Amino acid sequence: MGTNHDIPAIEVKNLTVSFGPRPALLDMSVRIDQGVSVGIIGPNGAGKSTFIKAVLGFVKPDFGTVKILGFPAAQAKGLVAYVPQRGAVDWDYPITVAEVAMMGRYGHIPWWKDPSRSDWQIVQEALEMVRMEEFSDRQIGQLSGGQQQRVFMARALAQGADILLLDEPFAGVDAATENAILDVLDRAKKSGRTLLVVHHDLTTAGEYFDLLMLIKQRLYAYGSPEAVLNPDLLGEVYEGKLRVFSGLKGQRESV
Amino acid sequence: MEFVYQALVYPLQQSFFQKALIGGSIAAIVCSVVGCLVILRRMAFLGDALSHAMIAGVAGGYLFMKLVFQTEAYAPAMLVGSLIAAVVTVGSIGFVSRVSRVKDDAAIGIMYTGVFAAGVVMVSIFRNYIHIDLVHFIMGDVLGVADHDLWVAAIAASIVLTAVILFFRQFQLSSFDPVMAASIGMPVVLIDYALTTCVSLVVVSAVSMVGVILVVGLLITPAATAYLLCDRLDRMMMLSAVFGVTSVLGGLYLSIWLDSSGGGAIMIFCTLQFLVVLTVAPQYGLLARWTRLRRMVPEQLVEDVLVTLTRQGGTAATGSLLAGVIGADQERISRALKFMTRDGLLVQTPEGLSLSPDGEREARRILRAHRLWETYLHRVGIPAGEVHQKAHVLEHVHDRDSVEYLDDLLGHPISDPHGARIPENHVSCEAGNICSLSILREGRTVSIESVGAAAQNSGLYPGQEVTIGPRLEDGVTWSVLLEDGRTITLSHSVADAIKAKVLS
Repeated sequence: MGTNHDIPAIEVKNLTVSFGPRPALLDMSVRIDQGVSVGIIGPNGAGKSTFIKAVLGFVKPDFGTVKILGFPAAQAKGLVAYVPQRGAVDWDYPITVAEVAMMGRYGHIPWWKDPSRSDWQIVQEALEMVRMEEFSDRQIGQLSGGQQQRVFMARALAQGADILLLDEPFAGVDAATENAILDVLDRAKKSGRTLLVVHHDLTTAGEYFDLLMLIKQRLYAYGSPEAVLNPDLLGEVYEGKLRVFSGLKGQRESV
Repeated sequence: MEFVYQALVYPLQQSFFQKALIGGSIAAIVCSVVGCLVILRRMAFLGDALSHAMIAGVAGGYLFMKLVFQTEAYAPAMLVGSLIAAVVTVGSIGFVSRVSRVKDDAAIGIMYTGVFAAGVVMVSIFRNYIHIDLVHFIMGDVLGVADHDLWVAAIAASIVLTAVILFFRQFQLSSFDPVMAASIGMPVVLIDYALTTCVSLVVVSAVSMVGVILVVGLLITPAATAYLLCDRLDRMMMLSAVFGVTSVLGGLYLSIWLDSSGGGAIMIFCTLQFLVVLTVAPQYGLLARWTRLRRMVPEQLVEDVLVTLTRQGGTAATGSLLAGVIGADQERISRALKFMTRDGLLVQTPEGLSLSPDGEREARRILRAHRLWETYLHRVGIPAGEVHQKAHVLEHVHDRDSVEYLDDLLGHPISDPHGARIPENHVSCEAGNICSLSILREGRTVSIESVGAAAQNSGLYPGQEVTIGPRLEDGVTWSVLLEDGRTITLSHSVADAIKAKVLS
């Protein structure tokens, strides 16, 4: 996209967001470089969804800044492509695979125009990239879980954004689907995109992502899985709500 | 011939019928199109609320013009009044549900009945000034459509249809995925208000024809009918408009033939139309659903067939033979056999159907689950007479983790309580896999991969090639033959702690 690769994909500085006396995010600073895949982990109610909203430019910070590729988040519309949680989508909606992917182009099409040939071309390429081109005319409810996730990945790719934000793509999917999604994430990363993935499963977090970000109101750790999946740190953040810390992938290498 | 002419052509020549048809069709088209968005947004109840709230606006507009300008029943003022009432209602619904613990649906119920009641009271207090027929308003009078009603409907329709066509993508995306819509910079809140305004306009234009109570039907039913047939929003809107028009056409004829209320007849026709589509829709209809359910072969039956075939040696089965053993009727069995052949579990041989390699593997897996469950049931003290029956039900619980849990719990038994052999865990024991030594059966040769803490003194060490010997002492002791001819015996926990790579 011709952007300078020294500019961080996402740069958060001293971000505090609150909806009352207890802040959702407190003094968070993090710099995520371009082209990495980051797993965002943390207990329920830790501010993961607030962080997503901050990156998408939906929240007004009490203090601090969020910059996307150097632009303030509120003005960086469309630079981050969002892939919603499976549960947030109405799978009965009368819409086909190609139409969902085309939504990725909506931000680029002026309101008085129809999608152009090049828009359709981009959609086609995005569907090919996730191997869904054969299903273009299928209604989205008639797909398997993995295929559904891939359609939304295609939409994110068609959007042309360099940063993909995925909200729990692995929640409630079977092993085969999980592999299919991983495969798509891998291809997206190989093409130079930055991936931000909210992830629940600590046992696979170290295996799936280059870097992990552990948050609970504050940023507890950001770095390699070996460093972040540290029993003491996890114990502090999860307050004993998580019993199985041993045997997490990534930990073993550090011992 | 005369009869047909009287029934079909004669009404068309009447001016009241023509006006009703034109006005009704315009209102129906625009209602149906907007209705698609309404049902996808789950706003049906809001449509109902808006139509009721209107009466306050109509009365207010009437009163305002009457008192200030002395004009009687000035239509534009009543229209603006209705829109104001609609916006106030929507605003107060949002306010109540935001600031209190009262949820959306209750807030809608409270506010619209309140505004509706205010309108009714206003009309009755000022009955000397306002000449609105409440019954007309509530029931509608499509057969008495006045010219100004037609104008209102036409203007509202052109505004709304233009908006929907121009901003189709905005409406589509913000109803499908508002988060994405906002993230690419669409003004989601504004689009929401635009949609609410469209619904208000549409309702205003249709109320004079079908009345307050039925207008929500005209909004929802054609759209829902089209929803059962379409997988794309643009097509759904077009088809919905068609259903709206056919409802008006059919309903008007119905009302002439039956000499009934026009609005009522239109909605009856519309509902019947929905019920017909609900029954026969090719994919989402009841008949389609019913045939799908009938065609579906239950997994349990497939498993029963697999196991029965294995027990009989795996070959040459006929439907009637199987039906006898399994106890299902022959039609279901032959459907199951067809399904399984298509799925590659069975193959056709000259003698009959027999298990394919895939089918055999699947059958062994289920048989293994069944016999492990039998052993388990026996162990927990279920009387021998009931074991088989219970295990037959439980064998359908056969996901890998559960079966391996049972296997380990029971000490990796080789045979079940009846003495029948429990098939080996053939997935983990495939050559080249690394597994725990405890799950291997006699005759396997393996190379030891790792020796856990519990097996430090077992006499085995990584890199050794050994052959598994027979299980001793009622199956609780494992024996391993070394290359130099010695035999080593292991307990369950020690055997568990040794990981081995299967060679053959």
